[in-house]
Amino acid sequence: MDYEFPENLKYTKTHEWVRIKDKTATVGITDFAQHQLGDIVYIELPEKGANLEKQSSAGEIESVKAVGELSMPLSGKIIEVNSTLVDNPENVNSSPYGSGWILKLEYTNELEIDDLLSVEDYKRIAEEEN
Amino acid sequence: MVDFAGFSMPVQYDSIIKEHEAVRSKVGVFDVSHMGEFLLEGEDVIDFLQYVMINDLNLLEPSKGQYSCMCYDNGTVVDDLVYYEENPNRFRMIVNAGNVEKDFQWLNEHIGGRDVKITNLSSERSRLAFQGPKSDEYLQPLVDVDLNSVNRFYFAHCNLKKAPVFIARTGYTGERGFELSFDKAYAEEIWNDLIQTGASPAGLGARDSLRLEATYSLYGHEINDSITPIEAGLFWLVKPKEGIDYIGKKILMEQKTHGTERIIVGLDLLERGIIRQNFKIFKENVEIGYVTSGGYSPTLKKTIGLGLIKIQYKEVGTKLEIQVRNKNLKGIVVSTPFFRNV
Repeated sequence: MDYEFPENLKYTKTHEWVRIKDKTATVGITDFAQHQLGDIVYIELPEKGANLEKQSSAGEIESVKAVGELSMPLSGKIIEVNSTLVDNPENVNSSPYGSGWILKLEYTNELEIDDLLSVEDYKRIAEEEN
Repeated sequence: MVDFAGFSMPVQYDSIIKEHEAVRSKVGVFDVSHMGEFLLEGEDVIDFLQYVMINDLNLLEPSKGQYSCMCYDNGTVVDDLVYYEENPNRFRMIVNAGNVEKDFQWLNEHIGGRDVKITNLSSERSRLAFQGPKSDEYLQPLVDVDLNSVNRFYFAHCNLKKAPVFIARTGYTGERGFELSFDKAYAEEIWNDLIQTGASPAGLGARDSLRLEATYSLYGHEINDSITPIEAGLFWLVKPKEGIDYIGKKILMEQKTHGTERIIVGLDLLERGIIRQNFKIFKENVEIGYVTSGGYSPTLKKTIGLGLIKIQYKEVGTKLEIQVRNKNLKGIVVSTPFFRNV
């Protein structure tokens, strides 16, 4: 597999990545997920300020051939959404861990961080699904 | 790769959008070997096709092909297909992959006492589509026929390097281009020769987005065994064929004259989002139909779709709502085709 999975990130089995910094988490979809979806053409982002539970839907990612759901990796409040994706959804394909980030949240339950996957665990899941 | 009618087929080689753009700007090669190919031979082939097809064989001549539908008695569609007249006693027919067995059986069941023999060549031959504005330029050096002499919907038998090929100026992309059929022994060789011309490999994903922009019906979407060609807007395809009885004629001619309750229209979204097959369509909260095909148009860079709706809402400019998961997006009826270069 030629997919890129940065070591310093946490992952979910639903193919989100999470970058934790202080009390906030930046969330996107993995290189594997963007590749599986193919050309992304529209992203429905959540409302800023929304309080969402872990694993609830935080948006839809539409590609030419399919639709994928962005799942909340942690319970929390949406404090920022990447509005550049409205006009440039393809950034999720070209830079899933950079300009293709999707949202930032302020998490409410620190214990949930322990449930996130390490890069090794996530790699195994991606390989199985490939 | 996806399983498509029992074949393992590539949906995309690289990116559906890049493949789509390659076909609109230069040339794309599609492997369409999953489609079916029949040879019809005998003294009564024309008489037989006049009976099972809705288009008129009198408009055909040797070396020419014709698009048509074969229908049930109630006017709904068994399949849409193209047949090519090699000579009055020998026709080549290309049918949809998912319908090969059904079509072969349907055709055989309706031969009656006529002198017609049908051979299923689907698994012996391979089929490729070579489509795009530069298709003539790229293909000409490989073949020993003057492509300028092959007009739209006509075909020739020639050699592609050393391989004997059937080549027709037909397609499903809205671009000029060719469709080829040949013995499957040459498949790999011809594929590689065509790619070496500079053409890009293109998969089923791009084939679908291209045909949707060009607004060509797809069996299982705009036409099927519960939608008639008139409802699908294929008015020109239903021919009066004076003095000839054909299957579905009565109801189709009646629908052509008096209209239908439903019709396929073009759809555009007034909000951001993507519409897909089977999404429900509403007018002021009353359900009036459903999306038959929908998706992102790489050429127009927006969402486009086709929907089967109650005919009173067919006028261009009619506003409606399309249910996308848990919410309704504002849409509008637009004219079609969305995009065609031929």
